Amino acid sequence: MATTRPSSRLTTAAALAGLLLVGACARKGGCTGDYCGTLVIATGGEPDVLLPPVSDRAITRDVTDQLFLKLADLGLSGNTIGDEDFQPLLAERWEWDTPTTLVFHLDPRARWQDGRAVTAADVAFTYDIYTDSLVSSPFRPSLRQISAVTTRDSLTVVFRFRQRYPEMFYDAVYHMRILPSHLLRELPRGQWRSAGFGRAPVGDGPYRFVAWRAGESLELAADSTFFLGRPHIRRLIWRFTPDQQVAVTQLIAGDADAVEVLVTPDNRDRAQADTQLTIYPYKGATYGYVGFNLTAPGDSTKPHPLFGDRELRRALFMTVDRGALLHNVFGDLAKVPPGPMSQLSWIWDPETRELPHDSARAARSLTRLGWVDSDGDGIRDHDGHPLAFRLLVPTTSAVRRQYARLLQEQFRTMGIDVQLDEVDFSVFNERARAGRFDALINAWNTDPTPSSGIRESWTRAGFGRSNYGRYENPAFERLVDRAVTSVLSRDEARRTWRAAIEILNQDAPGIFLFATENIAAVHKRVADVRIRPDSWLALVRTWRIPADRLTDRDRVER
Amino acid sequence: MAAWLVRRLAASIAIVWAVVTLTFIIVHLAHGSPCGQPDGRPVSPEVCADLTRRFGLDQPIWIQYVKYLTALLRGDLGESLALHRPVAAALAEALPNTFALALTALILDFALGLALGIYQAARERRFGDIALGNAALFVNSMPTFWLGLVLLLVFGERLHWFPVGGPRDLVRCPRVDSLLCFGDFLWHLTLPALTLGLVGAAATARYQRAALLEVIRQDYVRTARAKGLPERRVLMVHALRNALLPLVTLFGLTFPFLLTGAVLVETVFAWPGMGRLAVTAILQRDYPIVTAASLVASVMVVLGNLLADALYGVADPRIRVRAS
Repeated sequence: MATTRPSSRLTTAAALAGLLLVGACARKGGCTGDYCGTLVIATGGEPDVLLPPVSDRAITRDVTDQLFLKLADLGLSGNTIGDEDFQPLLAERWEWDTPTTLVFHLDPRARWQDGRAVTAADVAFTYDIYTDSLVSSPFRPSLRQISAVTTRDSLTVVFRFRQRYPEMFYDAVYHMRILPSHLLRELPRGQWRSAGFGRAPVGDGPYRFVAWRAGESLELAADSTFFLGRPHIRRLIWRFTPDQQVAVTQLIAGDADAVEVLVTPDNRDRAQADTQLTIYPYKGATYGYVGFNLTAPGDSTKPHPLFGDRELRRALFMTVDRGALLHNVFGDLAKVPPGPMSQLSWIWDPETRELPHDSARAARSLTRLGWVDSDGDGIRDHDGHPLAFRLLVPTTSAVRRQYARLLQEQFRTMGIDVQLDEVDFSVFNERARAGRFDALINAWNTDPTPSSGIRESWTRAGFGRSNYGRYENPAFERLVDRAVTSVLSRDEARRTWRAAIEILNQDAPGIFLFATENIAAVHKRVADVRIRPDSWLALVRTWRIPADRLTDRDRVER
Repeated sequence: MAAWLVRRLAASIAIVWAVVTLTFIIVHLAHGSPCGQPDGRPVSPEVCADLTRRFGLDQPIWIQYVKYLTALLRGDLGESLALHRPVAAALAEALPNTFALALTALILDFALGLALGIYQAARERRFGDIALGNAALFVNSMPTFWLGLVLLLVFGERLHWFPVGGPRDLVRCPRVDSLLCFGDFLWHLTLPALTLGLVGAAATARYQRAALLEVIRQDYVRTARAKGLPERRVLMVHALRNALLPLVTLFGLTFPFLLTGAVLVETVFAWPGMGRLAVTAILQRDYPIVTAASLVASVMVVLGNLLADALYGVADPRIRVRAS
């Protein structure tokens, strides 16, 4: 009779337990001193390709900013006007030859990670790539005011602009990460998105590429020869998760060291209660709004039967108690924006005039416009048509879905019937772009400057692009043009922007609901954490893990 | 036998072709375009137009279909619209993770299911049988993702016994190149495999119990008992062998089910497998990945069925006789 002996069963069980135990135990390492440690960053996204000209995903930017340098970068002040607040990176200095000619002098110590020197030819090549229609870079429109980039010698590069304007320097340095021409020159321009280089890049930044495991992680190692100073944290590892909530779970469980945003007040409280974590609030780059379609759905030549009427839009705006909605959804993790702007934007001014929340006045306006509940069904009507519209919402955003339900209820109390169209993000995007909606809840991630975003989303320049509701007002656009192209002092620009926003607010093309306040969480052993709001990891090379706080995992040598 | 195999293979190819064709048509006709970005930023009209032109998405659907099939016959699954890399490469990275998860879950499913089923059948209508039966029903009726979340919360986040996601410790074991790292991989695999395997084990236990109870009442078992054989031998040797036959079919069908059913588990546990890849691709309208994922899933189901038939034939000579 064949039977299993107890001793062999015990041996098997012990072997398995031992194997599991070994897996769970720490592998002691030997790194000591100021340049050890690994930072595991949990994130809800994954880069598509590590080639900066062909991807504008935030996560791609976070990674490639460690691999490829800009000529100079934004300072902590976030000032995008002029050049005084910018920090040198690849360019050690610069000067203006003429009001429209900017000369950069590259740092002679800069090297590509294959040992070649970074040259002015690399800068000219980079500009050529970013502006090539075959490459189709999403940053191309931002460089339209630069007419040429030429080399004067191997370390001097000259930018020529079509005209003088306040953010010339910002445009010259902020969008382009300089690329190695000797490695990329032969790459056909139409194949940049699928280039092998984009999955194993060679850069000139503080970190060098190590490995990318699709769907799982991406690893960079500090370049000990980096010319601006060796980064303190030896390894950066991005751990990709299906969404930001899973990323936060991994942080709380100790499987990660940092997350960019905690998203909800509940997560913030969990992180605060965790003695291993420190939280870092910073200004968010996102604002969300209800956008009214001012033209008939699917036919931009006709006005929308409801939202073509400015007075009706104003009444709807005044119906909504934005503060109450915000408190309900975000707690204290966001603010009601004074217009179409994120907290990151330097034009943020709480004194900007807006329409008030005044339901009595809104009700009077609606009645004056002929919208009354004539049949007693609780919904206002006019000429037999109910005051009703559909609100387009992406299912991928829990925040926007929550807002949609709360808005539906607030409008209902005013006798307005709102039906929700909840669709996945791809469909949302397609319908928004085609103008096939009555109203939508949208959110924008903005640049540090209002110049590009507001123009794209709220002027005629954005028709067919990001101005989904096709709002236009010549007076508003004149002021925007003035702020972008003519004004030269920051105070003057701020005043001009405020005047423009106040005009827009009076037209009520949308109801501006929230501007997020971000909170990052980082393991407490990490010191000198400074976060630049427009790019939270921009300064990670200066973060450090002091020698006395190193854990076994930080010391692991590979 | 050969004719049967040829017929089955032909039918299998037809099924795979039908699934691929349907998937291709449905994903291309579905609303939405691949011009959105996962982080919510819009793709500029110029970039979108470039993408549409490069991938031929502006052509009539039948032309796209013919091109796709032609490429597929050459073994080319195309290029991902969102990942900007060959679909085959993306699948090749994701599939081993999904296979590891599904295979481990399958082993758990059948090992645990068999053991429980036998235990219950041997104690029919006694306390152990009733308690385990109810517990199995409870687990079986739980949605997989919910069970995953509970295990994650209790054993990962609260007790810290297991990691809460991913297939490895990224610092100590970036590759499975040592016994230590293999142990680490198993440690990471435990919760996702348990989630997937436990639900299956509950069902397997019910099948096994029923099959064994049916066999136990047959004459040859009664004869074995009458000959004075110990009950343990009667159960484990004489009854179990025949009671395993239905399980053989179940075994062949369960693996592809686990493979495709891993989608939610992979999402909950941040497991970089094919399910997560497919879900992301669906949200991003990454047509080539979605179609390729359907192709792989349908091939697995068809192979699973073939395997089940073959195993059944091996286990039961009467089937072989009928087939020939």
